[in-house]
Amino acid sequence: MIRSLSARLLVSVSLLLIIFFGATIAVLDYAFRSAGEEAQEDILDGYLMQLLAAAEPDASGGLAMPPGLPEARFDTIGSGLYAELRDSSGNRVWQSRSALGLTLPMHDAPEPGIPVFDREVLDDGTPLLALRLAVQWEFPDGELRPYVFEVLESLDSFNAQVAEYRRQLFTWFAALATVLLITIAILLRRMMRPLRQIETEIGEVEHGDRTALSTEFPTELTGVARNMNLLIESERARSDRYRKTLDNLAHSLKTPLAAIRALFGDAPIDPSQRARFDEQIDRMDEIVRYQLRKPSASASENLVLKSVDVHAEIDKLIDGLSKVYRDKSPSISVTIDDALSFRGDSGDFLELAGNLVDNACKWCNGQVRIQLGPVSPERRGGLRLRVEDDGPGIPEEATAALMQRGTRLDESTPGHGIGLSIVKDIAESYGGRLEIGRSELGGARFELEIPSMTG
Amino acid sequence: MRVLVIEDDAVLRESLVSQLEAAGFATEQAADGREGLYFALEYPVDLAIIDLGLPEVSGLDIIRQVREQDKGYPILILTARDRWQDKVDGLSAGADDYVVKPFHFEEISARVNALLRRSGGWASSVLTAGPVRLDMGRQEVKVEDKTVDLTSFEYKIMEYLMVRAGQVISKSELTDRLYDQDFERDSNVIEVFIGRLRKKLDPDNSLKPIETLRGRGYRFALERAGSH
Repeated sequence: MIRSLSARLLVSVSLLLIIFFGATIAVLDYAFRSAGEEAQEDILDGYLMQLLAAAEPDASGGLAMPPGLPEARFDTIGSGLYAELRDSSGNRVWQSRSALGLTLPMHDAPEPGIPVFDREVLDDGTPLLALRLAVQWEFPDGELRPYVFEVLESLDSFNAQVAEYRRQLFTWFAALATVLLITIAILLRRMMRPLRQIETEIGEVEHGDRTALSTEFPTELTGVARNMNLLIESERARSDRYRKTLDNLAHSLKTPLAAIRALFGDAPIDPSQRARFDEQIDRMDEIVRYQLRKPSASASENLVLKSVDVHAEIDKLIDGLSKVYRDKSPSISVTIDDALSFRGDSGDFLELAGNLVDNACKWCNGQVRIQLGPVSPERRGGLRLRVEDDGPGIPEEATAALMQRGTRLDESTPGHGIGLSIVKDIAESYGGRLEIGRSELGGARFELEIPSMTG
Repeated sequence: MRVLVIEDDAVLRESLVSQLEAAGFATEQAADGREGLYFALEYPVDLAIIDLGLPEVSGLDIIRQVREQDKGYPILILTARDRWQDKVDGLSAGADDYVVKPFHFEEISARVNALLRRSGGWASSVLTAGPVRLDMGRQEVKVEDKTVDLTSFEYKIMEYLMVRAGQVISKSELTDRLYDQDFERDSNVIEVFIGRLRKKLDPDNSLKPIETLRGRGYRFALERAGSH
């Protein structure tokens, strides 16, 4: 089965053209040939009449042909037009000069009075059309004697004509078929354009450059586009609903946790007991935080991905954090290389940047440096986020533990909370990675790399 | 200082309120967004603690409307949705800080004090003006390194005036912000307390830390040190 619709149509049309043109060629060829043969027979008939008119009884009492027949080709050797006169016993009485040196085939005498057309082949292979007529010649003495007149003409030139006609026929029909096929192919391309457009638009939706398919499609495709949009819409709604459900669940779990903690705060409990309760509350809190955060976008959620305005999100984040860290007022420098691109969920981006920048602000002595750019400096696309501070940095063994795959929640680096585990998780769900090192500013350096998503 | 608490969980709200009151704040409480919005716009408030996940009117909407009405008091958001998206949305709507549930009350009181101090233009939690030092963390006042023995109500007046050092504060504002609603309101009480404060801070009447502006109110008059 051919997969492409255009190819299918082109193949069908080609087959149809071959059948249709083949039949046309056969009909035309047949008509041309029969008309030609008829004309040929008429001509032979005419020659036969000439011979009949020219024949005369001679002195010996037989039938003779005078020299100098009206048709000069009878007298020209190898002219392709031959004639013969035979008597009742089949003996050749006369032969045209043109047949000199040729052996014309012999036949039995046909029924008298009825002209018989026949096809012959000369020794050298030349095809001939023959016309034979048996007559009862009435001599002046009143005696009737039978004779056979035969005229033969070479079919070479006729066959050549037919061949030439066929050649022309094939040439023209081939040209016509080619033009037709090209026209159909061009038309097909034009007809298929909306299909290709819908394909492009779906690609754009997947890449987040577009939120829905446009509605300007031919009638046949509007249904598809509309259903596609419904699908995208419901996918988004589903993802939103999912996130809301998780949010509500988190909210309804954490508020009681906060209430429990508040109640313990009021209650007269031994401080060491209180610490143990607190520890349990913290564990539950971390589990809720980690497990119930919005699942980050992944390949399966392609339809909800959008191009994130990194500039705007970073600005909002820095504005917010400047309020939170007003007492510390760290100097936060941000450089953004516009060749970057991040396709996904803006919430995920904020989660990545928020945790890293918040960490840096928390631990810095006054200086935070944020650099955003594409993954590789030579090529556009992807996101590299580097956040550095001038704080104490992270001890190497803690770094190793943090970077280890599958590090459990309660084992994550103390002081850095589960924020980094979340960052690592989100980065990995985008096919990216997180690196921790030491900054030239003196503190920690977090480097996040997320490749551009294609396909 | 009057703190408005908008939180729909009754246990949490009441516990917060009682702990805030124990820490010396006057409080106002609302259990849903609509009531909260009304209080936030209509009541004298020095700081609001707003939960983001409220019924009726969302916390974000309350913050936006408060800021649209040009009310500049600090807002602390409580959020259970520990996503940066929510924190950033809250902060850019006009909140000043956030606390993630479940929290320790110490976190809340530290943030509240810091926000109140900042709203008065102080950079540190130890407010220093001339020889007077007020430590908001310890709720302690010293003059020339000697601790002044204040009652909790005297301290509240002192803190309110000193956080707003340089501003004129009317008697009615003081009663509004320092008493709980059902407290008997009598402006003479304020005068009495101001008089006692003056005696304790400035026994020999040389410092004159608190000015009376007739018909307008009081002002903490000493020059700030270490402020912005």
